[in-house]
Amino acid sequence: MRLAGKRALVTGGRQGIGRGIAEAFLREGATVTTCGRGPRPDGLTDSVIWFPLDVTDAAAVEELAIATDGTDILVNNAGVQVEKTVADSTDADWDAVIGTNCRGVFNMCRAYIPRMPEGGSIINIGSISGQVADPSMALYNASKAFLHGLTRSIAVDHGPQIRCNAICPGWIETGMLDAGFDLATDPKAARQDALARHATRRFGRPEDIASMAVWLASDEAGFATGQLFTVDGGLTAASPLSPGLF
Amino acid sequence: MMLKGKTALVTGGRGGIGRAIVARFLREGARVYAADLTPEGSLAAHDDDGSIFVKLNVTQEADAIAAMEQVAQDTGRLDILVNAAGIEIEKTIEETTLEEWNLCFAVNVTGTFLTSKHALPLMRKAANNSTASIINFGSYDGFIADPGLATYCATKGAVHALTKAMACDHGPEGIRVNAICPGYVDTPMLQSFFTGDGSGGGGKTIDQLQQAVRDVHPMRTYGTPDDIANLVNWLASDEARYASGQLWVLDGGLSAQVQQMKL
Repeated sequence: MRLAGKRALVTGGRQGIGRGIAEAFLREGATVTTCGRGPRPDGLTDSVIWFPLDVTDAAAVEELAIATDGTDILVNNAGVQVEKTVADSTDADWDAVIGTNCRGVFNMCRAYIPRMPEGGSIINIGSISGQVADPSMALYNASKAFLHGLTRSIAVDHGPQIRCNAICPGWIETGMLDAGFDLATDPKAARQDALARHATRRFGRPEDIASMAVWLASDEAGFATGQLFTVDGGLTAASPLSPGLF
Repeated sequence: MMLKGKTALVTGGRGGIGRAIVARFLREGARVYAADLTPEGSLAAHDDDGSIFVKLNVTQEADAIAAMEQVAQDTGRLDILVNAAGIEIEKTIEETTLEEWNLCFAVNVTGTFLTSKHALPLMRKAANNSTASIINFGSYDGFIADPGLATYCATKGAVHALTKAMACDHGPEGIRVNAICPGYVDTPMLQSFFTGDGSGGGGKTIDQLQQAVRDVHPMRTYGTPDDIANLVNWLASDEARYASGQLWVLDGGLSAQVQQMKL
């Protein structure tokens, strides 16, 4: 029980990575609150507290911060992606991606940092796409790079009271990934090709990211701050050449 | 004429990338020593281009000392050193023999160390009026791995760290140290990679392999030795007087992208 007695808040806990983190924190003994747009999702463990929240709404974020005063662990996981180049992106796309991924995280950090006790840990969910570019994901890639920079700034400005780190997931098995493959001309071949580019020969699962989040949230990570922790099955350690070409 | 009045020595100076650097330095007005194992280097023939050939096996300290003695007698100073000599072993660590490992480190890492070490006294003299510049050869493979190139990847990672260490130690003496990190460049080394035993080729022709490698680049081509020489020239020149301790990736965008999934 590495998080016994700690209070955690995870944004975007409806599904995928956020849900995985919320459940892992619960198993490690934390009191877990999660939030998202809309009503409580089906099947969410009863002991997890749910709040409806849009992170782009600064006033609502402030209210939640007051209601969850004394949070030790803040995980900024809520994010959206729009699959477009700069030339194709609209003002609405900008507002959606930058609003949630950048402003939303800013709102959360600004509201929670003054209320977090000594030894608090903020974990931002960045992305490998914030370090190297995914094609046709321009605003998303840029929003994640913003998050990486903000992570370092918070670590520098708010240490030693608060540690702040980012996790950079690679390709994780979520509904979003399946939807991507469904768009391919040959979904099965696309999946095989993508698998061949992972040293682990599998995609990530929400629990792979959750296990890193647990460590970063725990006191074992007491000297880790201001860093990006990439968990991608080896994807970005390899050159982008086609697998099996040579 | 960005290098007028400067003296330069380029190791591997008769090889693929080295030869292009020598040619560019000559056009920019430098006096250039092309140091290599043979006058032909890794290319079949050599036309007299006005460079001064120095026989240099970069793994031999006596060769490095002798080369610098020759430069000292001729000009008394050295403004620019380019450590372009390099080899690659196309194997995993399990397939690699200790002799191959040692040879690859001897050329790529020890060679950079020995040539730089013995060039430093001459470079301090050059730094009196401007800055002297050492340009090492790292690789994008020093950041991310190509399969079956383990020893090569490790040597280039070592060169990257050595570059920063040298920049810290010798910056106060007016000597700048940078590394160029090329991606795929059309050289004898690359063509050997396409045809070599380590590549296998997967039943593809060399043309198909070349096209496949071009296609994975955002620029849809691999580089030429002249592309690399363009940046080496800038780093060697006084325009780069504030550039030191950096790793300069030049790869047509290859490493800027997440892997190109076939979607």
